[in-house]
Amino acid sequence: MNFERKLNRRSILKASAAVGATGLASVSMPAVLRAAEPDKPSELIIRAWGGPWVEALKNGVSDPFTEKTGIRIIHDLTEDNEIQPKVWAAVAQNRTPPIHINWDTTTNATKSALRGVCEDLSDLSNLSGTTDLAKPVGVDGYPIVNTYGYVYVLAYRPEAFPDGPPKSYHDLLDPKFKGRIAFYNDGIGFHFPAQVAGGGTLEDIPGNMDACWEFVEKIKAQNPLLGEDPDFVTWFQRGEIDAACTISTNALGAKRSGVDIAWTVPEEGAKFDTDGLWIPKGHSESDLYWAREYINSALTQANQQVWLDGLGLPGVVPGLTPPEGLAGDPSYPTKPEDFERLIRISGQIQVENESEWFSKFKQIMQG
Amino acid sequence: MRRYKTSYPISWRFMDVLEAAFALVLPRGGGRLTPYLLLTPAVLLVGTLAVGLLYIGDSSLRVLDRSTFLFSDYWTLENYQRAFSESFTATIIWRSLAGAVIVTAVTLLLAFPYAYVMVRTSSALLRKFLLVALFLPFFIGQVVRAYGWLIILGNQGIVNDALALVGVEPLRLLFNYPAVLFGLVQYMLPFGVLMLAPALTAIPEDIEAAATSLGANWVRALFHVVLPMARPGLIGAGVVVLTLSLTDFAMPAILGGGSQDFVANAIYDQFFRTSDQGFGASLTLILIAVGSMTVGLVFAVFGAGTLALGANRK
Repeated sequence: MNFERKLNRRSILKASAAVGATGLASVSMPAVLRAAEPDKPSELIIRAWGGPWVEALKNGVSDPFTEKTGIRIIHDLTEDNEIQPKVWAAVAQNRTPPIHINWDTTTNATKSALRGVCEDLSDLSNLSGTTDLAKPVGVDGYPIVNTYGYVYVLAYRPEAFPDGPPKSYHDLLDPKFKGRIAFYNDGIGFHFPAQVAGGGTLEDIPGNMDACWEFVEKIKAQNPLLGEDPDFVTWFQRGEIDAACTISTNALGAKRSGVDIAWTVPEEGAKFDTDGLWIPKGHSESDLYWAREYINSALTQANQQVWLDGLGLPGVVPGLTPPEGLAGDPSYPTKPEDFERLIRISGQIQVENESEWFSKFKQIMQG
Repeated sequence: MRRYKTSYPISWRFMDVLEAAFALVLPRGGGRLTPYLLLTPAVLLVGTLAVGLLYIGDSSLRVLDRSTFLFSDYWTLENYQRAFSESFTATIIWRSLAGAVIVTAVTLLLAFPYAYVMVRTSSALLRKFLLVALFLPFFIGQVVRAYGWLIILGNQGIVNDALALVGVEPLRLLFNYPAVLFGLVQYMLPFGVLMLAPALTAIPEDIEAAATSLGANWVRALFHVVLPMARPGLIGAGVVVLTLSLTDFAMPAILGGGSQDFVANAIYDQFFRTSDQGFGASLTLILIAVGSMTVGLVFAVFGAGTLALGANRK
């Protein structure tokens, strides 16, 4: 009995120890795994564009990220051009940059990469599931991760074009459109189609852009309005303009707000470009880790689907479903043939020459 | 003798305490240092500005390398050569300067009668109304006011709606040079009135009455008595409005529709759009030079007005 009792006690003790050890292991293993994750910051600051842009990012990436990690996301709506010198100055002075992640145009981000202020993102796990569009051109590795592409379409009010959509930028030279057309105030998105419209070739870029400037001179005679992203939506809403060369998202934003608006890619073609996410150097290890996790989460199919549904743009993850009404739309290229009418100029050429093009465009428009 | 509370008010007692504290802090004879101590904040302010200008001067002598987006480690005059060789620079300087002169002239023309009525009216109600109307715009930022004009003068704005009632097609009232100048005049008017009002207050009403009693009608009294005596105020107000208009950013940006840039807008573009802070810095110093020379010219021709702080009266 005693023996049996001993055995029993021993068995019980053994069993208890085994259960305890198993229990301890089952509790402590995730704890060990969690220990591999650096401390979570209370918040991450993401620079973003306002209006429909930030709403889409919030719904598609930021909210799911907060839900998963508990880290609050703050969207800093400082313009990308204005944050850039602040970030550059912070990195140069070994200060902590004012933002954790910059949502930026690839051209602007490439400038930062060339300056050496971007963290390398090459080992993000979700990069393996992305298309070639995610890879920035002209820089080593992934200092930036491109997250989607976009087209500078010719947006128009159908009411102002009763004979059908404008076929060419030459259509905008009709005197009835004097003061009723709009472009970006630095001409971005229009330089390349203008080169074609002026009789030049894309191969001549950047060496000989006389054709572009001649056509810009003709457009200038039409007294166009010149503005930024939010201006286009406002101008369409208030009936100030009939047509504009703008990113399709702005046209979509105006359409979703009830404005009767459509868009097309004219025969000269339309500029196709990308935006991306990057992390400035100078953050603590833990902040850097979670910032990278944020970008990684922006590359999942589920998050890309929601984010880019909001923007109406094609992403960098295969298998996304186009938003309603955008399947086959020229502003939503997915297949190789969709890109035939779109103009892509290397990022390096753009970075090296963009400021000269901006100056020349302004010189003509302000002259 | 009994001392009444009113004979030695509490505010005087407070000043006594302050004076005693000051005497404790300062060594004996430190009173001579007081004026210099009072100057310290101003010297610090101007000193900070001067240091900032030195940095801007340094930046203006460095060129941007577009392969690394870093600035040269040597000094060069390339940015200035570029600024003076591009016709765009001349265009925006001329536009800014001409705009500032026009805005100053129109503002003074409108500010003078406003300030005169505000100072001379015998109706307390009218004076209060004019004062409130004068200060109200200061509580509304420049950008908000500019956006207000977008709503009022837009194609679907109040003015065009009113014109439509009488069968007039919508007019493009915005995004042109006159719209920028209009916005600037509206923005500068309170500054003009505020600078003019003290100068007009200093003109004794008796002198105007004497001119009238000696046979001058109000026009002659205005041109031969009031305006000459208000000259210091007009010059002071003119210089303030001129310099503020010359360096304005928001009105050309918002009401100009992107095609009526002033120099400040071009500087912004260089700093923030093309990342070329060197060229932006050179434009900044050119703007400072143009502004300083213009003010110097005004001082040389008309004197420093109220900005001379009484030196002319010696």
